[in-house]
Amino acid sequence: MKDSLDELIQKHLDGRTSTEEAESLSTRIVADKDVRSRYLQAAQIHGALADETLPLEMVAEPETMVVESEPQKVAWQFAWPRQIAAGLVAGIIVGLLGVGMAWAIGTPKAEAQVFDIAHGDFESMAEGPTPTQFPVRFGEWSGNPAEVVKEANGNKILKFVRTANVKGDSDGFASNCSVFQLVDLSALRRQLKVEQSEAQYSLQLSARFRRDPAPSDAELHKPKASLRIFLFNAEPESIGEAWPRAVQMAEALGKKSIKPEPGDDVATISTSCILDSDATVALIAVAASAGFNSKTSIPLGGYFVDDVQLTVIKNPKLPVQVVSR
Amino acid sequence: MDHQNNHERFTRLLLEAEPLMLRSILVVVPNRADAREIMQETAVALWRQFASYDSKRPFVNWAMGFSRIETRRFLARQKRRAQLSEQAMEILERELEGDTSFAEAIERHLATCMQKLTEKQRGLIQGYYHENRDVDWLAQHGGRTVEAVYKAIQRIRRDLQECIERQLKKELS
Repeated sequence: MKDSLDELIQKHLDGRTSTEEAESLSTRIVADKDVRSRYLQAAQIHGALADETLPLEMVAEPETMVVESEPQKVAWQFAWPRQIAAGLVAGIIVGLLGVGMAWAIGTPKAEAQVFDIAHGDFESMAEGPTPTQFPVRFGEWSGNPAEVVKEANGNKILKFVRTANVKGDSDGFASNCSVFQLVDLSALRRQLKVEQSEAQYSLQLSARFRRDPAPSDAELHKPKASLRIFLFNAEPESIGEAWPRAVQMAEALGKKSIKPEPGDDVATISTSCILDSDATVALIAVAASAGFNSKTSIPLGGYFVDDVQLTVIKNPKLPVQVVSR
Repeated sequence: MDHQNNHERFTRLLLEAEPLMLRSILVVVPNRADAREIMQETAVALWRQFASYDSKRPFVNWAMGFSRIETRRFLARQKRRAQLSEQAMEILERELEGDTSFAEAIERHLATCMQKLTEKQRGLIQGYYHENRDVDWLAQHGGRTVEAVYKAIQRIRRDLQECIERQLKKELS
């Protein structure tokens, strides 16, 4: 709800609302105090940025953002872009194969830095289908049948077309449409000096999902949209070769899903995992699924994702509890 | 002599009030070129009526009334962009006048929050707001699409909004 309101407000500030949208925004401003407050804040930021008399001291500084934490809360409980405000982030590492689970608790200060992933907003991609294979190179979106589409307002967005088995295994399940990207963490680790650092790093993945009504809705019983991040210490090609068993090799993972109804407001979700392993590669996946196990491909139609973003969060060393099962 | 004194006094008062007035106009008329045009018209109207200004009242309060009138006049003759309704504008102007806490928080913390942006983000703000580059130009020179530039600018504004909110909360806690 807040996301789509913010989007409308931001659009208006850039003079891009249609007459109908401006009317709708006006009605909401008149009727709802919270909408007014949100609009006034955004418009005042816009006004201040345009005010050349305000001393903004735009000097280059390290690309970090100091954030405050909200102890005891995990990041994925907050909607983006509150992820940064929400601060800390308790990363979650779920031990695979039932080995155990670890979690971190928030501390007073954290720093967040947006880590640019390739084509996270899909704007620089050509319209049309993305490659239908497991990615083998860094920085490319590929996976199950999906396509980059341009909306009426010119915004490009990824549409999940249908579920499939990304390895083409005819006996395997084809219950979801996952689109993946491999992200090279080596340079990031060097830059952050993860090994020597006293700090704790986590990676937070966020994306905005939307579900429009589609003819295939009747076939989808409990559909959901999800976001996953896996960290590996492996060559990128080997992850694809071993997929889906490769998840058992992952050093850390984070996942989050939602079950949007057709026509619901845009929803931002995020998930995070701790980067204190030897991970050199992150595999990120955005997905829409039919919600039940199926070996046949199912059209999805109305699922979209946009604004996929990875944020590195640096915390002072956190207390970590490990619980063995 | 009186005329010259008046003119100097008016100029000083206007220079002091102008940033706040322009920012208030931008709340209801977000297009910067339009807002500056309204500000120009307001300055002319203020000078014409300056003889009636009661110096016991704050100049900015007196001047704001004029900027509202000029805003309405401008919007009545310019239909280039979609506008907020009259009722929405009125209610926003009233609330803006009644609660200045966020505006004051912006004054105190915007510079700090700006420095938390990446260099690339600050460059974009510099181009869009301070050098008045249009989005097409920024897209062409930044190797991005127009949509990507809009998205980036919107994201920056939202991040700054969240940052100011956090600073304000911290002060209040």
